Amino acid sequence: MKRSITPFVITVLVLAFFYLPICVLVVNSFNASRFGGEWSGFTLDWYRKLLKSPEIWHALGNTFAIAVVATIGSTVLGTTAAFALDRYRSRLQDAHYLLVYAPLVIPEILLGISLLLFFVALKVELGYVTIVVAHVTFCVSYVAMVVLGRLQDFDWSLVEAAQDLGADAFTTARRVLLPLLAPGIAAGALLAFTLSVDDFVITFFVAGPGTTTLPLRIYSMIKHGSPPLINALSTLLLLVTTTTVWLSQRLLKEAK
Amino acid sequence: MSDFIQFENVSRQYGNVRAVDDVSLGIRKGEFFSLLGPSGCGKTTLLRMLAGFERPDTGRVLLDGVDITELPPERRKVNTIFQNYALFPHLSVRQNIAFGPTVARRPRREVDEEVDKMLALIQMRDHADKRIDQISGGQKQRVAIARALINKPAVLLLDEPLAALDLKLRQRMLIELDMVHDQVGITFVFVTHDQGEAMSLADRVAVMNAGHIEQIGRPVEIYETPQTSFVAAFIGDSNFFEGVVEEVTDVEHVKLAIEGFSALRAFNDKGLAKGDRVFLSVRPEKIRISRDEPHAGPDYNIARAVVDDVIYLGTHTLFWLRSGDYRLAVEQQHNRFVLDELPIRWKDEVWLQWHVDDGFMLERYAESDEALMGIPPQRVGEGDPAPAANERG
Amino acid sequence: MAEARGLLERRHEPWITLPSFLWLVLLFMVPAAIVFAIAFKPSDPFGGIGAGWTLQTLRSLGDPNYPAILWRTIWLSVATTAACLLLATPTAYFMARTSASVRPLLVLAVIVPFWTSFLVRIFAWKVVLHPEGIVKHALAALHLVPQDGSLLYHSGAVLLVLVYTELPFAILPLFAAAEKFDFRLLEAARDLGAGPLRTFWSVFLPGIRRGLLTATLVTLIPALGSYVVPDLVGGPTSEMLGNKIAQRTFMDRNLPHASALSALLALAVLVPSAFAITLARGKRGDGTGGAA
Repeated sequence: MKRSITPFVITVLVLAFFYLPICVLVVNSFNASRFGGEWSGFTLDWYRKLLKSPEIWHALGNTFAIAVVATIGSTVLGTTAAFALDRYRSRLQDAHYLLVYAPLVIPEILLGISLLLFFVALKVELGYVTIVVAHVTFCVSYVAMVVLGRLQDFDWSLVEAAQDLGADAFTTARRVLLPLLAPGIAAGALLAFTLSVDDFVITFFVAGPGTTTLPLRIYSMIKHGSPPLINALSTLLLLVTTTTVWLSQRLLKEAK
Repeated sequence: MSDFIQFENVSRQYGNVRAVDDVSLGIRKGEFFSLLGPSGCGKTTLLRMLAGFERPDTGRVLLDGVDITELPPERRKVNTIFQNYALFPHLSVRQNIAFGPTVARRPRREVDEEVDKMLALIQMRDHADKRIDQISGGQKQRVAIARALINKPAVLLLDEPLAALDLKLRQRMLIELDMVHDQVGITFVFVTHDQGEAMSLADRVAVMNAGHIEQIGRPVEIYETPQTSFVAAFIGDSNFFEGVVEEVTDVEHVKLAIEGFSALRAFNDKGLAKGDRVFLSVRPEKIRISRDEPHAGPDYNIARAVVDDVIYLGTHTLFWLRSGDYRLAVEQQHNRFVLDELPIRWKDEVWLQWHVDDGFMLERYAESDEALMGIPPQRVGEGDPAPAANERG
Repeated sequence: MAEARGLLERRHEPWITLPSFLWLVLLFMVPAAIVFAIAFKPSDPFGGIGAGWTLQTLRSLGDPNYPAILWRTIWLSVATTAACLLLATPTAYFMARTSASVRPLLVLAVIVPFWTSFLVRIFAWKVVLHPEGIVKHALAALHLVPQDGSLLYHSGAVLLVLVYTELPFAILPLFAAAEKFDFRLLEAARDLGAGPLRTFWSVFLPGIRRGLLTATLVTLIPALGSYVVPDLVGGPTSEMLGNKIAQRTFMDRNLPHASALSALLALAVLVPSAFAITLARGKRGDGTGGAA
C-alpha cells in the first residue's frame, strides 16, 4: 500500500514550529545585539551578567526549596491516593477519584484564584507557605495519576507470592512492593518537581508581596527587563529540561 | 476422618454470586489431587482458601487436624505455584528461590546451601544469576517449584501452572510435575480447567461446577461412570437419552422405554424401579457403527440411524447421526484399512450397537450442560436439525 | 478483586484514603465553593470582601464589554483546539507508523517542549515576533507586512502562541491512542475499496477517538483559562476572560468581581467537560469504547 506523504510533511513542519523559536532564543543568547534582529558578534556577556545577578540566585533558591517540600508532600499524598484508588471499589473511592481528577481539568487560573480567595477568607498571610500548600494541591493529582498508571500494570500476585513464602505485611512492602513501584513513584515525584519549579499562574495568585520564585522573576523580566538576559536564562533552563526529560525517560524504561 | 486436608461446609460469596457453595472435601496425605472445572466454578477460590488468601464466609479449613481458617498465608505450611508463577522480576533466580528462607531469617550460609541444592534439583545451576525475564517459560516453572519446595511445605498448591505454556512444553512440564511429586512425596493440590491435565496427573479428581462439587473420584471413575450430565459433558462428550424404566430385568440391568428406540437396556447401579424417569448417557466411542446388521446378543443394544455428517479427525472419525428423535455422536477408530468394505457416507442408513454396561444412568441432568460438548447434540424436531434446540438451554 | 491479607485490607481503606481526600476537600472543594459564594458578596474599598450579600456583582457582568470578551475567549479557544487537532493527528499518525528506531527520537522531540518552561516558550515567540526580530525583518523585506506594522499584540499572535503552547499536550494523547491502533485495519479498509482519505476518516479517526477526546479536553480547557499568553503577546483588543480575572484581582483589587468572572469561566469549562464525560460514558456503555 502506498502511504501518503502528508503526515510526514506535517510532522516535519510541526517539529520546525516547535524548535525554530527555541533555536532563535538560544542563538540570540550568544548575540551581542540587544534585540537579536541581526548578528552583531558572539558574546558570553549576557550569561556573565545573569549569573552575577543576586535576584536570580535568590529566586532560584526559593523555587527549589518550595519544589522540594511540595514534591515530598504531593508524592506522599499522591502515592497513598493511588493505592486507595487502585485497591478499593466503593462510593468513597468514586468521590475520591473525582476529587483527584478534577484539578487536572480545571484551568490553572481558577485553582489560583480559588486558593487566593480561600487564604484571604481565612486571613492567612500570603507567602512561601501558601505557595507550598498550593503546589502540593495541584501536584497531588499528577503524582496520583502517574502512580495509578504503574499500579494498574502491577501484578498483585507477587504480593501474594511473598506472603505465601512467609513474608509478613511489612517485609512484603519493603522487599517486593516498594522496590517494584519505586521507579513509578520516582517518575511521579519528578513530574511534581518539574511542575512546581515551572508553575507561574498559581504561584502568581498566592504569592505575597516580596515573595519571589524563578517563574515570577522571569515574568517580571519579560514585562520590564532585558531580553538578552532572559535568552541566557531560558537557554540554561532548556539545558536543565533536556537533562530531566532524559532522566525521566530512563526511569520509566526501568519501571517497565 | 484421616484426611490430611479438610474443607468443612465452606462457602464464599462475592456480591450475589456464590463462588463456593457449602463445599465439604477431604484430601489425603501425599495425594496428587486435582480440582477440575470451567472458569468461575469456584476451584481457584477453594485453593486460595487453602493458601490463606481468602477467608470462607462460613465453614472451616483444616490441615492435619488443625483449624487454619484464620491463619494468615505467611504462617501456613502451604506454598503456591501461581498461574503466571509470580516470580519477583527485581530479583535473580537465586534470590527468588532464597526468598522464603531469607524472610524466615535463616542463617545466610544455610540458605545458600539449600538454594544450591534446589538449583541442582531443577538443573538451573548455570542460570542462578539470571534475571527472571532472561529465562524461558519452562525454566520459570522450575524456579517457581524450587522457590516453593525450599520451604518444605506440607502441601503444594498449583494454580493452573501450565496455562501459560505452549502445547509441547505443557506436555513436558506435565511429566516433570509428576516426577517432582514422586520425588518429594508431599500432597499436591492442582487446579485446572483442562481435563487432560487433571486426568493424566491426578490420583483423584474433584469436578466442580457453579460453586459445588459434582463428583469426586479416580480419573477412570470420573470418565467411565459420570454421575451427572455436567461431568459427562465436561469431560469428554456424551449422548444423552431421556426415558422411563419399563422393566427391571435383573439385579444389575433395566429395560428402558425411550421414544424412537426399541427396548434399550442399561446398567442399573442406582437401584431404579419400574416407572422411574431416567437420563441415560452413552459415550460416543462406545458405540459401534456398521453397514450390516450386527449379530444381536443379549448384552448389546441395537439401533438404526441415518448419517448426517462424517468428519475425519485423524485419530478417529466423528459421525453425526439421526436416530428416532435424537441426533447422536459416534466416534469410530479406523486403524484397519479394509479394501472391500465400502466407507460409510452421508445419508447412508447404518446400524448402531453398544454394550448394555456402557449405558449409564445419571443422578442429575441439566439441559444446559449439553452446550459444554464439542458440537452440541440436537434433538431432531420435525425434519431438519431443529433451530429450536438452541432455545431449550 | 481479591484483597491481600495483612496488606491494604478493607479495614485500612480510610487510613490511606483520607489524607489525600481531606486535603483535596479542604484545598480544592472548599476554595471552589468560596469562589461561587464570594460572587454574591459586595466588595469593600480596601480590596477586601464586604459584609452582607448582594446581586450587584453578578449584575455588573452585564457590562457590554464582557459578552465580547467571553465570545473572544471561546472562539480563540475553539480555534486553538481545532488547529492543534489538525496538526497533532497527522503527527501522531506518523509517529505511530514510523520505524521503531526513529519513534523514540520523535517522542523525545515532542516531550522536550512539553517539559520546557511555559514562560520560556512564550518568551521565545516574543523574541521571534519582536518588531526588531528576524521574522519581522524578513516579512517586511518581502513587503508582506508594512514596515511599521506589528506582529505582536493582537488576536492573531495570541492564537499562534496558544497553539504553540498547547500542541505538545494534544500530540501525546493522540500518539498514545495511535500507538495502540491496529494498522492492519487500514489495509483491510483499502482492500474493501475505501480510498485513503475515506480510510483515514472512517477507520483511523474512530479508532483513536478516545485519544481525540482527551486531546480536545487538554487543549480546550487550558485555552479557555489562558491568561499569560494574551497578557504577554496580546494587546487590549485580544484580552480574554483570564486577563479580566487577573485585572480585577491585582489592579482593582475587586475580589467579588474576580469571583463572578471566575464562576463564569468555571461554567464555560464545565460545559465541554460534562459533554466529554457523557460522550465517553455513552461510548463505554455500548461496548465499543474499550477499556476505561
